[in-house]
Amino acid sequence: MGPLSGTLAKFRGRTKESKLLIAMAVPAFAVYSFLYLYPAIQNLAYSFERWDGVTKPEFVGLHNFTYLATNDDLFRKIVGNNIRFTLLVVIFQTAFSLLFATFLLKNTKTTIFLRVIYFFPTILSSVSVGLIWTFLYNPNFGFLNASLKAIGLDNFALNWLGDTKYSLYAIAVTQVWFHTGQMVIIYVAGLQQIPADLYEAAEVDGATRWQQFKNITWPMALPTTAVVVAYTTIQSFRAFDLVYSMTQGGPLNSSDLIVTSIYNTAFSSFKYGYASAQSIVLIVVVLLVTWLQRRTLRIDYGVK
Amino acid sequence: MKTKGRTSLSALRIGAVAAIAMALVATTITSTQAAATPKFGVACTTEGVSTGTSTTSLVCQKNSGGKLAWANVRLGQATGKPVAALTAAAGTIEFHHFRPEDKAVFQTIIDRFEAANPGTHINQVIMSSGDYTNLAYARISANAKAAVFVTVRGGQFTQFYNGGLLKDISGERFVKQNVIQSALTPGTVDGKVYGVPYQSLFNDPLYNAEMFAKNGWTVPTTWTQTLAFCKKVKAAGIIPFAWPAATRGNAGQILNSFLMNSAPDVATLTSRIAAIDTGKADLTSDWFTDIANKYKAMNDAGCFPANVTGYNDTVAPADFAAGKAAIYPTGTFGMSTVKNLNPSMAGKMKLMSLITVDTKPLYEGITNNTFILSVNAKSSSRDQNIARAFISFLATAPIAQLYAVGTSQHVSIINVDYSANIDLLNTSDIMGKKLLLAPRFLFNNVGTVRNPLEDALIAIGGGADVTKTLADTSKTIKQGLGA
Repeated sequence: MGPLSGTLAKFRGRTKESKLLIAMAVPAFAVYSFLYLYPAIQNLAYSFERWDGVTKPEFVGLHNFTYLATNDDLFRKIVGNNIRFTLLVVIFQTAFSLLFATFLLKNTKTTIFLRVIYFFPTILSSVSVGLIWTFLYNPNFGFLNASLKAIGLDNFALNWLGDTKYSLYAIAVTQVWFHTGQMVIIYVAGLQQIPADLYEAAEVDGATRWQQFKNITWPMALPTTAVVVAYTTIQSFRAFDLVYSMTQGGPLNSSDLIVTSIYNTAFSSFKYGYASAQSIVLIVVVLLVTWLQRRTLRIDYGVK
Repeated sequence: MKTKGRTSLSALRIGAVAAIAMALVATTITSTQAAATPKFGVACTTEGVSTGTSTTSLVCQKNSGGKLAWANVRLGQATGKPVAALTAAAGTIEFHHFRPEDKAVFQTIIDRFEAANPGTHINQVIMSSGDYTNLAYARISANAKAAVFVTVRGGQFTQFYNGGLLKDISGERFVKQNVIQSALTPGTVDGKVYGVPYQSLFNDPLYNAEMFAKNGWTVPTTWTQTLAFCKKVKAAGIIPFAWPAATRGNAGQILNSFLMNSAPDVATLTSRIAAIDTGKADLTSDWFTDIANKYKAMNDAGCFPANVTGYNDTVAPADFAAGKAAIYPTGTFGMSTVKNLNPSMAGKMKLMSLITVDTKPLYEGITNNTFILSVNAKSSSRDQNIARAFISFLATAPIAQLYAVGTSQHVSIINVDYSANIDLLNTSDIMGKKLLLAPRFLFNNVGTVRNPLEDALIAIGGGADVTKTLADTSKTIKQGLGA
């Protein structure tokens, strides 16, 4: 009996209801396989090839990966950029969203209005956000520098997007502004699940607001934090539109991230195999960082 | 009628053409602009003004006696009398291009084409130029309905050629007889024509002629004059060159001017560019270091605005349009943006040559024949027939004129009259100069070589250290080429 006939025999042995459930999953699985699984496997295959998109691909084994690891200083710089970018965004986006959520927890007209206001940037297109912030950051007439100069802080009026020292951080600030509102909503949903009697008991015991936050809110919000951190991390590693619309990765690749590098390698340099290898590296880095985060948060939460 | 033309031109002919030009221009200039713009009269008074690209067109230029006079436009001619457009078969095809700003004009042209060819339909598929550079090949190679499309001269045209997507159209009569033959070079491989470069662009700095006249400034014609000019203009509180350094695409246009007189001849220039493009030479070579040093010299002389590396192509044309900058160093394609920002700039823009030597320059300006129209070799024969007919329609003088006037772009089609667009008239004098086909596009490795190279020059133009920047970028380029 071959594997296929064995599988068929098993399928025949199932109940009618069970067969129906499996049949219902087939369309979704087919779409998933066609739109995600197949391209992902194809991408893996390309990563072992040298291909310009026109001529026949040439199998090069692990060359793309070894070259990335040993000969591509720019890619290593870009991975470093992305890690710094992600670290900043994860820390500030999580901190701000938790802070705002604690103030916007109750369902009053004011807090609901403020939640809508904070969420508003999320519904804007990323290119629009990029253009708005490009104007705000304009070194010669932008709002930011004009404000700094107006209060006498001329030395802090910088060439935000045009200087290799600041461009990455300027985009990170924009990313935090762009997505904090989204995380506020997730936090509000999570914090509203914390039983109110815990706070009532804490108040009876005379706990201050800080003690309540430290001993109730923070530990009880850890599962939500795990979601927010993981989501923000993935979002930061996938950041493309903002970078492309604000700096195109410049000046001198100072704000280049892995995804913009993949895009340029594939579509400007026409090195599809090498770009595929870069995307495999991206997947590995994201998996590794996410796993480390989950592990850290679970240990803190006491769920081993 | 007062005429100062060459003796070979009859007074009657000169008078007729000049009168037509005057009449057309008079309808173009609004009363508010009239005081600020040059007056086009029967007598030739504005150097460089040209009435078109036909054999009967005239250009106003200095004669041997130093006086302004009407003369024949000096252009390469087609090899016969222009032919009418081909007739298209019935059917529907797609026209892929990268100029959203031309959508309305193209739609007008398509409507006329469809009216002339009942049962034929053309749908425009438009991407932004950035997306088109990166994605057009993948999309068109997988879509046989994209029967007519455009490519950019250089790397993209080569990519499409290598992919077998370009049909040989050398034998078409409209190619031989309707197109200025010298403009066909970028669409030609091994003597065969695979595309008609539709636009004749001039990638030279635009200057505000009114501002120059008011301040008594003259256009610098040597490198030393250019640096002195920058100091003088900056002292007057005006940005000398509104260089959009934060937008790589348009920031790179100025590189054409730096390259054009950097070598003793064009063959040497081509081989030097090829050496860098293939990794055989470094950016640290004396030749390229000299170019980089000139970017630095311009920055040191105050040619560029403050914080130029954060100065993008949204701000630069706005400053130029608002009269805060004297020069917008991009090209003729920037004129429509400037006019959209400030309609009163119509008629005030002219082209200048950015000369980076103090000796007699080899070239006086840059041209680029691009927006190369091709037929998809993978389309069905019926769709190819429609595509050929559409290109032949675009290559007729009245349609090319409609496109040129509507988009403020010069075209490579014969017998086009630019009189109805004052900015095309004002910038047509560049056609009479010795021009080099934009050398920037000789870099075929756009992502691996040209982009990092231009990024380095932008950084240097913004004050970065020349030696370190060139050394670091050379390393990046070499590593990129080896991947």
